[in-house]
Amino acid sequence: MYEAVHAHPDGETTVARHAATAARYGYDGIVVRTRDALDPAGRVDAAGGGAESDAGASPRDAAALREDSGIDVVDAVEIDVDDATSASGSVGNYRPDRTVVCLVGGDDGLNRFAVEEPRIDVLARPMHGGGDFNHVLAKAARDNGVHVEFDFGPLLRATGGKRVRVLADLRKLREIVTYYDAPHVVSANADSHLELRAPRELVAAGEAVGFDPEWVRDGLRAWGDIVARNRDRRSEAFIEPGVRRGRYETER
Amino acid sequence: MKHLPKHLRPRWRYLAIGIETWPDTDLGRRAFQRALWYAAGNLVGDAGSADADLTLLRFTHGDGVGEAVVRVRHGHVDEARAAVACVSDVDGDPVGIRVRGISGTVRACEERYMGRASANSTQRDVAFEGAERPAVVREDAYDVRVESGYVGAAAFDIE
Repeated sequence: MYEAVHAHPDGETTVARHAATAARYGYDGIVVRTRDALDPAGRVDAAGGGAESDAGASPRDAAALREDSGIDVVDAVEIDVDDATSASGSVGNYRPDRTVVCLVGGDDGLNRFAVEEPRIDVLARPMHGGGDFNHVLAKAARDNGVHVEFDFGPLLRATGGKRVRVLADLRKLREIVTYYDAPHVVSANADSHLELRAPRELVAAGEAVGFDPEWVRDGLRAWGDIVARNRDRRSEAFIEPGVRRGRYETER
Repeated sequence: MKHLPKHLRPRWRYLAIGIETWPDTDLGRRAFQRALWYAAGNLVGDAGSADADLTLLRFTHGDGVGEAVVRVRHGHVDEARAAVACVSDVDGDPVGIRVRGISGTVRACEERYMGRASANSTQRDVAFEGAERPAVVREDAYDVRVESGYVGAAAFDIE
């Protein structure tokens, strides 16, 4: 199971500390949503391994962090823009470099754009701040393989009327997404290592507000599936979906 | 009062809870118990909260780490776990919290899951992001003091 976190400078905890905490909590890896916290995987590959290795252990080097913490550390980006036009530009910029691309929704136009764009992996926080979701978006998300995020952050950290509204939104979103079988991810949206919660705690909290426990676990595993798929696509053996370099190919 | 016959006594489970805070947080037993009960009351309501019990039996905290044993009625462990997960802050100080394990007796709970936190923290200046900053160091965990508060770092980040 994976968890997606906000790291320093966006959050209050560095990637290394997040990774150490997540490893103790039993996660298999973390997805770092903060753009400035890690070097993008695409550019490291392009630069070649030899030049990178003697540079020492930079705190932004995902491979060194993986080795240090013993769990997977994944570079991602969370695109947070005002309208679909600039979102489109950002997706084009970040998709070649980053392993996971998330787009922060919360606006009807942005939600619509995200679910219709197969280059986006995750539509983050679609119900946040006045955004809405419906059957049209759910079908598009399913067809384009865009994962809809269920943000458990307010469930764990908000109180009172704010939490009530968020839970009502989560329930509505859950009913739509499960009906159309659109892909989903679950995250606590932790800003610091103190906001991280172990997978069993997230499942229990989800269960208390009506989520199916296995469904929440699927949502946590889905991050790992996205990462595995995108790494496979980036690997040299991958030509296009369904076409791979086979064992009969020889190096020249 | 005369104690109950064995078959009428409530059956308990004991949750071993690990607590983590910023090093300057002063976490009291009463405040933590109140936060626990509030979290349960807000999440599962008064009825569910009464079922789960969630009485704090053991509590220690110092230098940013702590441990607790919480009593839970048998069969309500999932609600209790959810309530524990929802304790995000105590009197405004953020708290990282995790259920380390569950036992049938307090003694087993303590022997198995408690007392491994070596709270030997030291204060020293470290090089973090190109500047010397004061930090509280506990094994590989470095809580670095910056202008806006603390930044949670690890040995890996220190230059």
